[in-house]
Amino acid sequence: MALGSRQSRRDVLKLTAYSTAGALLGAPAVRAQTKSLTMMHESSFVPPYDAFFKNKLAAAYEKEKGIKVNYEVVSVGSLLTRVTTAAENASGPDMTAIGFNWAFLFDDKFVDVSDIAAEIGKESGGWYESAQESVVVNGKWKAIPFGNIGQLMNWRTDWFKQAGYDKFPETWDELLEAGIKLKKAGHPFGFELGHGFGDNHGWLYPLLWSYGAREVEADGKTIVIDSDETARAVDYCRRLYKETMVEDCLGWTDVNNNKAFLSEQISCTNNAESILWAAKKDFPEMAKVIDQSENPKGPKGRFHMLNPLCHSIFTHTKDQKASKDFLRWLMAPAQAGPWLDIAVTYYQPFLHKYDDAPMWKVEPRNLPYRDALKTAHLPGWPAPLSRAQSESVAKFVVVDMFAKACAGKSTKEVIADAAAQLKQIYRAT
Amino acid sequence: MTAVLAPALTRRRPAFSFARWVERESVFSWLMVALPVAFLVALVGYPFFYGIWISLQDRPVAKPGEFVGLANFIRAWDDPVFRQVAVNTLFYTAAATLLKMVGGLGLAVVMNQDFRFKNLIRALLLLPFIVPTVLSTIAWQWILDPAFSVVNWVLKAADIADPGPSWLGNPHLAMFSLIIVNTWRGLPFYAITLLAGLQTISPELYEAATIDGAGRWGRFRYVTLPLLMPIIFIVTMFSVIFTFADFQLIYVLTRGGPANATHVFATYAFDVAMGAGQFGQGAAIALSMVPPLALIILAMAIYMRAPK
Amino acid sequence: MTVERRGWRVRLLTLWLPLAVAMFFALFPFYWMAITSLKTNQELYSRKVMPLIVHNPTLKHYVDLLTETSFLEWTWNTLLVAVISTAISLILGAMLAYPLARLRFAGAAMVSFAIAATYLVPQPLLFVPLADLINRLGLNDTLTSVILTYPTLLIPFCAWLLMGYFRTVPVELEDAARIDGASRLQTLVRIVLPLCGPGFISAGIFAFTLAQNEFLYALIFLTKTEVRTVPVGAIAELVRGDVFYWGQLMAAALLGSIPVAIIYSFFVEHYVAGLTAGGVKG
Repeated sequence: MALGSRQSRRDVLKLTAYSTAGALLGAPAVRAQTKSLTMMHESSFVPPYDAFFKNKLAAAYEKEKGIKVNYEVVSVGSLLTRVTTAAENASGPDMTAIGFNWAFLFDDKFVDVSDIAAEIGKESGGWYESAQESVVVNGKWKAIPFGNIGQLMNWRTDWFKQAGYDKFPETWDELLEAGIKLKKAGHPFGFELGHGFGDNHGWLYPLLWSYGAREVEADGKTIVIDSDETARAVDYCRRLYKETMVEDCLGWTDVNNNKAFLSEQISCTNNAESILWAAKKDFPEMAKVIDQSENPKGPKGRFHMLNPLCHSIFTHTKDQKASKDFLRWLMAPAQAGPWLDIAVTYYQPFLHKYDDAPMWKVEPRNLPYRDALKTAHLPGWPAPLSRAQSESVAKFVVVDMFAKACAGKSTKEVIADAAAQLKQIYRAT
Repeated sequence: MTAVLAPALTRRRPAFSFARWVERESVFSWLMVALPVAFLVALVGYPFFYGIWISLQDRPVAKPGEFVGLANFIRAWDDPVFRQVAVNTLFYTAAATLLKMVGGLGLAVVMNQDFRFKNLIRALLLLPFIVPTVLSTIAWQWILDPAFSVVNWVLKAADIADPGPSWLGNPHLAMFSLIIVNTWRGLPFYAITLLAGLQTISPELYEAATIDGAGRWGRFRYVTLPLLMPIIFIVTMFSVIFTFADFQLIYVLTRGGPANATHVFATYAFDVAMGAGQFGQGAAIALSMVPPLALIILAMAIYMRAPK
Repeated sequence: MTVERRGWRVRLLTLWLPLAVAMFFALFPFYWMAITSLKTNQELYSRKVMPLIVHNPTLKHYVDLLTETSFLEWTWNTLLVAVISTAISLILGAMLAYPLARLRFAGAAMVSFAIAATYLVPQPLLFVPLADLINRLGLNDTLTSVILTYPTLLIPFCAWLLMGYFRTVPVELEDAARIDGASRLQTLVRIVLPLCGPGFISAGIFAFTLAQNEFLYALIFLTKTEVRTVPVGAIAELVRGDVFYWGQLMAAALLGSIPVAIIYSFFVEHYVAGLTAGGVKG
């Protein structure tokens, strides 16, 4: 609400009246001076990334605009809990990092940032289409996408080579073949099938999709999980588990596959860049024989998980404009560029300007993460954003369908269970 | 408040003495309990009824609620995961409580002797109870890893199995492992509390029992156990309440996996309320804990207090 | 059981052997924590070396914990929160316990029923409404928020324990004091409370332990690093994505609990004595 140059006394009065009324009604009113803003974030896997914000970005902004920006981290698993309490109470941080479909869940509590999203897009080469899948709600941008924390196949080139593979298998069937050989050689696979936050969905949804199966149609109503395609995906997963993996994966959470990979228990898993990153830091020898590849193809193509990190502004912030200004500033190449650089592609930018950014040359093995963005979707795809989608993920419907099959239940049974759950979930919302 | 009131009251009715009024049993009692009761009403009572109100609504996160009556409860009942969660919680509580009771009693009897470094050993045994659960559970994540677990190492070294049991991957073993970790954390409190009970039993009773021809087991069965019953009841009640509502331990180790084999009320309610953003459903699930818990405790009270 | 002069075989079988098993079960995870906190990451993840021994000990994780995180600040917060909420719980618990244990008044049954009922209220039901309440009171991101909410978990226990203890004080003592002209309050403060010291110690230890352990409320109410407690702070800063900083986490666990255990060792006798009174008579 910047004042125009031709403001008359009446305009000012009107404005004062509006903002007084606004303040009384609890609507965000313009304050003469905003001295500080708070950004809530998940504690990044890359510690220098957090430090860069605190020490460099925040300091630069304070120097430039006189506004102090606090940076508060919570653990990845706790972020949703904190966003929930902040949104419910209409108090707490001004801005927050979000993921998945939270822009939809907290629709009423997040500021429409379509205007700055358009500006940022124009400035930085345009947005990836997948960026919009998670942040555009009813035609409005409710968050500014920052980067995708993609999930890819992490594998040991040395052991694959011993088994006769110079490059990563192209299809799921070939992966199974390779896995059988590798397990015989004492190097089993390990893909999370338990109740973690991401490494389970990270490969099971893409597997499901690549067999042509879906939870629900694009109309967001028709449950289509009970299909031959699903049955084939489930049968495949059971074989992959029984014939290539360590038994323990069924109980894993997100940390376990990193641990198993770094302790050389497994030769392949699906994970974000954290394994290669940790290996380079602590196990330089092992790091030389790790590679990352796109998910294998199924009968209906290749898919990946969309795991976006975005920034939203809470409507309860006292000064929406100050937060918008900050986000706008943050996403300008002069700021976003170095911030992305410091994490070296751990966050894959949703802006085309960075398609050939120097950070991709630092570690060419990360390049597939960029390519994977084109085939990445959120859980629940192709249905539009919904609360049912969150509920299905929180109740691990798809993960448990596969996990139960791996633990020995029949394909028919596990699909029937999932279908019943999904019907309950999608009917109710 | 009382100081202000007192002179005013005395002036109006000279026969009335404030000091004497306060000394009345019921007045003094209520003056004492008023503050804590008000505190509990405000911070437990009010949120509790608020929670009940939420459970009767379709209340998505960050959206206004809509009254739906008992729909959330009916829905929970139709939800196969909810039923599994109920069974899991009961089994987890029963098994862990039983282990803690038997192990705690045994340890208490052992510790009820004179030995060197008594206080130090007792304090060390309390360690599992002291250390923050979220952090100790993280250590268990290694101890239960088949590649690093002692049991698996032994089995492997003896050439019996490789890699051996999957402590958290096998659905049945996962429940077993969680019960062990819960027992590990809760047993010290059990043992120390029961030890306290044991120390009140007068030695003459044992001597009398010995004279009557009771052996070691007889003394335990007819002297120790009956006298210890009240304290066993109290700690068991505590254990049931805390185990039934356990959250941290399971949330860190398996988060309810594999395939819901270790999901319990608290973790499921949290996931539904916070993960799915369905406050109404989450509240209904959490509230479903109350009747079975109340029933268990009532049954225990009747059983343990019954004259035998 | 009287201490008899038994043969060493019996003593081995009935004392040291079971004690050793119990100690092993209770302390093995601590041993694991200790070695994990002293190992380099290379050694921690290695399956080639025996995992039960530290081959190349390092204090790096301790140094990192103390210099790169706000561990000392969290410890201070935790102590502050635990001490104050324990004190509140003891005072309010005693105010509930004394009348219930000693006096007759209308509504006593209702009050004791209400206390029993608070045990049954599930925490997962409370956090949404409580977060709302704390927010209305303007206590977000203050230690006061948890100092106020922890006693809800602790008061019922303290009250139960102290009730049993108050009952052990001979009524004659109180009557004598009252005949000498002491008011009820004076009797409570001068006669009853001093006799119940061990009871307060045992309730205090229990309350303190639960308060410093609490995770859920601390997670919801405390966002700012400078107001965090050890469990929440450690998880927020040392669990990064799907990577755990094992060494530092274990160092935090040990540094956070061993001093408490040492302090407890001085009190443990009173703890035992206090629980006795509470449990058996309650």
